[in-house]
Amino acid sequence: MLTYILRRILATIPVMVVVALIVFSLIYLDPSDPAAANAGDQATAEDIARIREAMGLNKSFGVRFGEWTWGILHGDLGRSILTKLPVSGMIAQRIEPTLSLMVLTLVLAIVVAVPMGVIAAWTRGTWIDTAIMSLAVVGFSAPVFVVGYVLIYFFALQWDLLPVQGYTPIARGFWPWLENLILPSLALGFIYIALIARITRASMLEVLSQDYIRTAHAKGVARSDILFLHALKNAAVPIVTVIGIGIALLIGGAVVTESVFAIPGLGRLTLDSILRRDYPVIQGVVLLFSFVYVLVNLVIDVIYTFLDPRIRY
Amino acid sequence: MNAMPPPSDMRRSIFEPPAAVYPPRKPRGPALRFVLNHPNVVIGATLLVLLVAIAIFAPLLTPVDPTAIAPAKRNRPPSAEYWFGTDQVGRDLYARVLYGTRISLLVGFSVAIIASVIGLAIGLFSGFLRFADAIVMRIMDGLMSIPPILLAIAMMAFSGASVRNVIVAIAVAEVPRVARLVRGVVLTLREQPYVDAAIASGTRTPMIIWRHILPNTMAPMTVQATYICASAMIVEAILSFIGAGTPPTIPSWGNIMAEGRAIWEVKPYIVLIPAVFLSVTVLAVNLLGDGLRDILDPRGAKGH
Repeated sequence: MLTYILRRILATIPVMVVVALIVFSLIYLDPSDPAAANAGDQATAEDIARIREAMGLNKSFGVRFGEWTWGILHGDLGRSILTKLPVSGMIAQRIEPTLSLMVLTLVLAIVVAVPMGVIAAWTRGTWIDTAIMSLAVVGFSAPVFVVGYVLIYFFALQWDLLPVQGYTPIARGFWPWLENLILPSLALGFIYIALIARITRASMLEVLSQDYIRTAHAKGVARSDILFLHALKNAAVPIVTVIGIGIALLIGGAVVTESVFAIPGLGRLTLDSILRRDYPVIQGVVLLFSFVYVLVNLVIDVIYTFLDPRIRY
Repeated sequence: MNAMPPPSDMRRSIFEPPAAVYPPRKPRGPALRFVLNHPNVVIGATLLVLLVAIAIFAPLLTPVDPTAIAPAKRNRPPSAEYWFGTDQVGRDLYARVLYGTRISLLVGFSVAIIASVIGLAIGLFSGFLRFADAIVMRIMDGLMSIPPILLAIAMMAFSGASVRNVIVAIAVAEVPRVARLVRGVVLTLREQPYVDAAIASGTRTPMIIWRHILPNTMAPMTVQATYICASAMIVEAILSFIGAGTPPTIPSWGNIMAEGRAIWEVKPYIVLIPAVFLSVTVLAVNLLGDGLRDILDPRGAKGH
């Protein structure tokens, strides 16, 4: 098992290198010349050449990628073109709202979606199952910002139950923090709930058709015990896998959700940087999110080997 | 009434049509049964045909130019003359929404086709050439480790707004998913005795791909393509909505929603009408995908 875990950890290294390579290569998508842009309209050809030299743009791709990676390994994500501040510091400043939003959404989605999927599997073929699964299909079809606006319209504007937009740091109290995050989490969690509910239902259906479930019924085990103790435990692996993979949806959705709900997190930082073409910031955020995503899935894979003794690699 | 011919009749029935064995078909039976058994496909396909018609015949459905600015007529509420009202610079929203169908469908279909073709090529390449497999799959893993929307946003930020760039940015994120699927099919099929037999009897690789691999990839790829199409349409709307997608001069649903955003508390319909169109379109494609999955692969009917 230890060798498996070690192999699994080592296997993420090439993946991370490829991620870094892709993120670094993004700058080559820009057709304009960064040296010329930096030099301004009045610059002569010599000025541009000098600036190109100073920015290190003359070096080969390999050298530039190497220097960039070396910096990252030392926690240096470069400096913002606009504010000249270190990107890592800018990210650290903005990380709390994004982290809050994503953790809350994750908890909310699991708490709502897993029971939904279990109930749908249990009531298979009835109107309850149909209703839950229809809701899941709709969840896949409504873009996150549309859900966000609909929620704001009803819960904030019409019924005045929750704040429209904004964010309150958790340091200023739990309730104000939570109050501001309920609607964004619901909006962001919508597609995630649909995804988890679907896989939970499918995985449960497979387990419920097993012989030991029938045996449990025959022994007279209570229904709820069969569902949650016998079946759900055995159906857990695909569900947890999808929860891990679905974090990609959360990350992408968070950027949009923060924009709709005016939450000053990493998503807002990304969007502001797009408008200002502040490339190092965009690269830093993409890199961070991707690494988090890879790490979360690594941890999930490793946890399996502890939770499920049947898994042997 | 026997569904199968008795064993002694087997040989004969290969040469003669087993007319007596099967019950005679009732008129209008199969078509009706298909509709009843697969309501998803029928509803999805009907909606999609309708939307394609809207996209193609947009100029016939409204004589108004969707980009024509009319400051005198701005901010009109929905009325008999302006069905969906007008926006802040007086453009007719009904016309804009109709023409927006074109962008959504164009992006959805293009991304689905491009990602499928490139993914198929990479998957075949990786599945057949063992030495390339490890490298290609690590690259795919790396691409898949960047959350798709984030990758598309980043690519758009660097390359600039245009419909072509939107299509490329979304397709790049989807290619690895198709490649993995195809590679999986190839690896499973390579273990099959009939493929072994074909290899042993000296059949060339292109022929094996054509005869054995492609027919087996088509079903899962078609299903995958519909999901890619649906997700591409959502991502296009998201990109346009945050200002990194279709250029604002072209009417797309995401752009209309982005423009209606500032005044959406007063006039929510400017955001909600294109939102409904987008959701219905994506729903239609998803329904079609779910239905196709049930038809093409009854065993694999297990969620996502």
